Amino acid sequence: MASFDKADIEKLIDGVLPWPATQDMLKSSKDEDRFDKYVEIMQARVDFEDPILLPLTPMLFIVNDNGSRVVKCRCGQCFGDYRVNWKLSALIYVRDDEEKMEQVYVGREMPDPGWIQLREYICAGCGAQLEVEAVPRGCPPDFEFLPDLDTFYRDWLGRPLPDTCEFKDATLDQINEWAK
Amino acid sequence: MSATASTMTSNTPLRDRMHANDEAFKTTGSLFGLTALTRKEDDPGTYEAVWHILSNLCNTAWATGCKVSSSPIAAEGGDALWGLHTATGEAVCISRGISAHAGLLSDMIKHFIELGYEDYPGFKQGDIFENNDPHYGGIHSPDFDMCMPIFYQDKLVAWASCVSHVSDSGSVTPGSIGFLNPDCYSDGIPISMERVGEHDAFYPWYEMRIRSRTRTPDFVMGDARGRLAGCITVRERLHEVLDKYSLDFVLDAMNEYVEDSRRYAVKRVKTQTVPGRIRKSQFKDLAMKGKRVLLAKQDIDCMFNLPMDLTINADASVDLSLAGASGTVPFGENISPTALKSGLMMGYSHVVGFDMFNSGPTTAWNVEMPPGGSWANPYPVDYQAASGVAWAPAVTWLSNLYEVFGRLFQMRGFVEEMAAGSGSIMTAEFAGINQTGMYLTGLTLEQASQGSPARGYSDGQNSAWCIYTPEGDFGNAEVGELYYPILFLGRNVAPDSGGFGKFRGGLGHTAVWMVYNTPGLEYQCGDAGMRSKTVGNHGMYGAYPTVPDRPGYGHKTNLKELIEEQKPLIHERGGPDNPAVTSKITAELAEDSAVAPFVTPEALVDYDVIVHPISGAQAMGDPIERDPESVVNDLNEGWTTQRVAREIHGVVTTQPNGHVAADHEATAKRRQQIREDRKQRAVPFKEWWLEERKKVEAQENMDNAVRVMWESSMRLSPEYGEGVRKFWNLPEDFTFTPDAG
Repeated sequence: MASFDKADIEKLIDGVLPWPATQDMLKSSKDEDRFDKYVEIMQARVDFEDPILLPLTPMLFIVNDNGSRVVKCRCGQCFGDYRVNWKLSALIYVRDDEEKMEQVYVGREMPDPGWIQLREYICAGCGAQLEVEAVPRGCPPDFEFLPDLDTFYRDWLGRPLPDTCEFKDATLDQINEWAK
Repeated sequence: MSATASTMTSNTPLRDRMHANDEAFKTTGSLFGLTALTRKEDDPGTYEAVWHILSNLCNTAWATGCKVSSSPIAAEGGDALWGLHTATGEAVCISRGISAHAGLLSDMIKHFIELGYEDYPGFKQGDIFENNDPHYGGIHSPDFDMCMPIFYQDKLVAWASCVSHVSDSGSVTPGSIGFLNPDCYSDGIPISMERVGEHDAFYPWYEMRIRSRTRTPDFVMGDARGRLAGCITVRERLHEVLDKYSLDFVLDAMNEYVEDSRRYAVKRVKTQTVPGRIRKSQFKDLAMKGKRVLLAKQDIDCMFNLPMDLTINADASVDLSLAGASGTVPFGENISPTALKSGLMMGYSHVVGFDMFNSGPTTAWNVEMPPGGSWANPYPVDYQAASGVAWAPAVTWLSNLYEVFGRLFQMRGFVEEMAAGSGSIMTAEFAGINQTGMYLTGLTLEQASQGSPARGYSDGQNSAWCIYTPEGDFGNAEVGELYYPILFLGRNVAPDSGGFGKFRGGLGHTAVWMVYNTPGLEYQCGDAGMRSKTVGNHGMYGAYPTVPDRPGYGHKTNLKELIEEQKPLIHERGGPDNPAVTSKITAELAEDSAVAPFVTPEALVDYDVIVHPISGAQAMGDPIERDPESVVNDLNEGWTTQRVAREIHGVVTTQPNGHVAADHEATAKRRQQIREDRKQRAVPFKEWWLEERKKVEAQENMDNAVRVMWESSMRLSPEYGEGVRKFWNLPEDFTFTPDAG
C-alpha cells in the first residue's frame, strides 16, 4: 500500500508537486492514511481550533464546535448546523441582468439573464467566493453534499464519533422559520 | 425447473442463464454468484495476461474496423468501438474509441436474448444482428449497434459487438446530428433488432435499404463492413485464446473480470468518497424560435432540467435519481433510459471504475427510472419523440458526475483525482457537393477535442479531451479538406474558454473555415450537448463557468478580393467585443454571435467563412486565488485578456520588457479590494430569499422556455415539485404558467 509524505500532499494541494510525483500518486494504490493527513494539513491552515470532521470544500469544513457539528469557513466564519444548506448562512450576490452579467461575461460570451442567473455565495468573514451557481430563477440552491457523518466514521473509518446526529436535511426547517 | 447459478450448464438456454445470473447477484451480492474469484486467486499471472490479451484483441478490432470503414468519422476520428461480451451479454472488455456505448451494446445483446431470439430466428456462427432504434434501447439512428455470437466447440460462448457512427443516418436533414428531427419518423433509417446477415455477410436487402435510404451509402456500407471486420477479428482472435488457455479458464475468467471490476468500483467508493446525499442541478438551452425549422410546432425555445440526485449508501452502493427531469422536446434531444445508463457507465468509468472497463462497476448502481414523459424516458408517454441526437442532454447531464465525484475525492484528500465539469459539445456538419463533384454530408470531428476539466492541482489541458470519447482527437485538418469543400484558415486556442477559477479548464479552440470549390454547402451548427443562451451550473468552489457557444459566419464575403490582393484574411475568432467576422472582412450577411444550434438560412458559397468555436472545460476555485504567474503566463500566450486578468483574477501587471509581468504587491491590494467589494454588494441570503420568492411567484423575468421547463418538471415529478414550492414558500397549488399557445 502506498504512503505519501505530508509535505508532498501539501505540494499537491498547492499545485506545485512535480508532474512525475503527481503521476505516481495517480497511478499508485491509494494510501489509507490520506484522509487523516489531509485533515491534519487543513487543520494547520485554518484560522480556528475546532477539530475538522470533514473538509466539505477546500474552503468550508464541518467541525466539532463544542459538541455541535457546524460548517465553518477557513477564516472561522460559522455557517451553522451542517444539515442545513450552508448557503442559507452566506452572503449572496446575484447577477440577473445584463449590467451585472457583463462584469463577468462580455459581448457574445454573455448568457441570457432571462434564462439563467449567476448566484455568487460569499463568506461574510473573509470575502471568499465559496460557490457560484448558474441556474434559472426558481431553482432552489443546490445542497451539494449532506454527509452521513456517523456512518462514515463508524462503518467506513472504523472509529465512531463520540456522539450521534440524525442524518436528515434540515434546510426546510430553516425556511419554515423564515416563512413565519 | 428454472435454472439457478449452480445448476446452469452451457446447454441451459441463454435467457434462463441470464435470469439465474440476476438472481445470483440479488442473493449473493456478487455477479454470477461469484463469492470468490478463484481463477484470479489460483493463477493470478495467467488471469492478468489473458485480460490484456482480450483487451488487445478488442483494440486490434478497432484498428482493423476503422480502416476498413473508410468513412472519415471512423478512419480519421476513430469514432467507433468494439467489445467482447459473456454469453449472457455482460461487457467483459472493450476497445479504445467511443466508450460511451459499452453499456448499450451489452443491453442490446441482453435484449436479443430476452426477446427469445435464441429460439427464433436462432443464434449461429456468422450471424449478424443490429439495432439503432431507440424504441428498443438504441441511442440515436446514426449509431449502428452490431453484435455477433461467438461459437466454440458448437457452444455459444461469447459475443463480439461494435458500434460505429455513420456519416448520414437518412434522417430528414442531412448528416448524423439530427437536432432538428421533429419526431421519430424523421430520425432516419431504422434497424429494429434485426438479423441483418448470416455466414459473415450482409443480406443483399440490407445493403439495398442503406443504398436507398441514406445519402452517403458508400460510407455507410463501409462502416457496416468495418463493424463486421472488427467483430470477426474479435471472434477469430478469441478462438486462438481459447485454444491456448482453455475454454474453462477463459470463460471463468471473463465472468471474474466483470465481478472484479464491480468490486474495484465499490471499494473505490468506500475508500475514496463519503456516504451521504449529493444534489447537483444542471440546465441546458435549445433556442429555436424564429429559426429555420421543419414543423410549426418547432418554432419554440426549450430549456432542459437535467438534475442529478445521488446517494452513497453505507454499503457503498449508489442510488441515482433524475427526479425533476423536464418533459420531452419536439426535437431530436430525447434519450431512452437504456442509452442514458450506458452513458452513465462511461462517465462512471472515467471517475471511478476504470481499472477494467466493463459492465461491472455500474451494477452497484440503483438507477431509478427517470420520470415517464421526460427527455430521459420519453417512451411510451411520448411515443413519437425524436432522438436524432440523444446524446445532447445526456452528456450535459453526465458532466455533473465529474464535479460530484471531484467533490467527494476532495473530502477524502485525494486531490489528484479531482475534476471539474466538462465543457459543452457543439458540432459542425456539412452537406453539399464537394470538390470532386461528389455529394457528401457528415460530421467534422472538431468537437472531439475539447479542453479537459480543471484538476484539483492544475489547469485542464487545452484541446485534449472529450467527454464521450477518450480519443480526444479532432483529426487532421488536411484530411477534413479532402472530404469537405472547405479550407482551414485557422485552428486556434480560444482565449478565456475554460471558465475562470483558481484552476481553469483546458481551453477549447476555434476552427475558421473558408468554403471553397462547391456549388453550395450547408453548414449545420449542431447540438450534441451545447449551450448558447446559458452557461453550465459548474461554479465549483467559486469559479465562473465556461462561456456559451456562439459561432459566426459570413456569407458572400470579400475573401476572394483579399486573396487576390494578398491581404490578411480572417484566421481567428477575435475578441468577444471585437469579432473578426465583422471587423476583418466584409460580407453581405455577417453573423458574429449566432445563437446555436442552427442550419444556415441558405447554402454557403465559395469564399464564405465559418467561425466555429469548440468549448473549453470547467474551472474550479475562487478566481482571485489563481496564481498570478499562471495569469501572466496566459496573458503572454494570448490565452486570456487584461480585462479578465484584472477584473476577475485581480491580477495587476506591468510590461517592463515587452513581456507582461505580475505586480505582486499591487495584486495583493487589488484582491483585498475585491474581497471587500464582494462583501459590500452581497446581501444576507435570507434578505435575498424574501425578495426572490416574490419574483419566483410572480414569474418575473423568466423566459417562457424556463417556465415551460419548470411546469413539466414539477408535473412529471410531484415530489420534486413539492420541494420547489416548499423552498420558495409558494402556495400548495402553485404552478408555473407558460405562455398560451
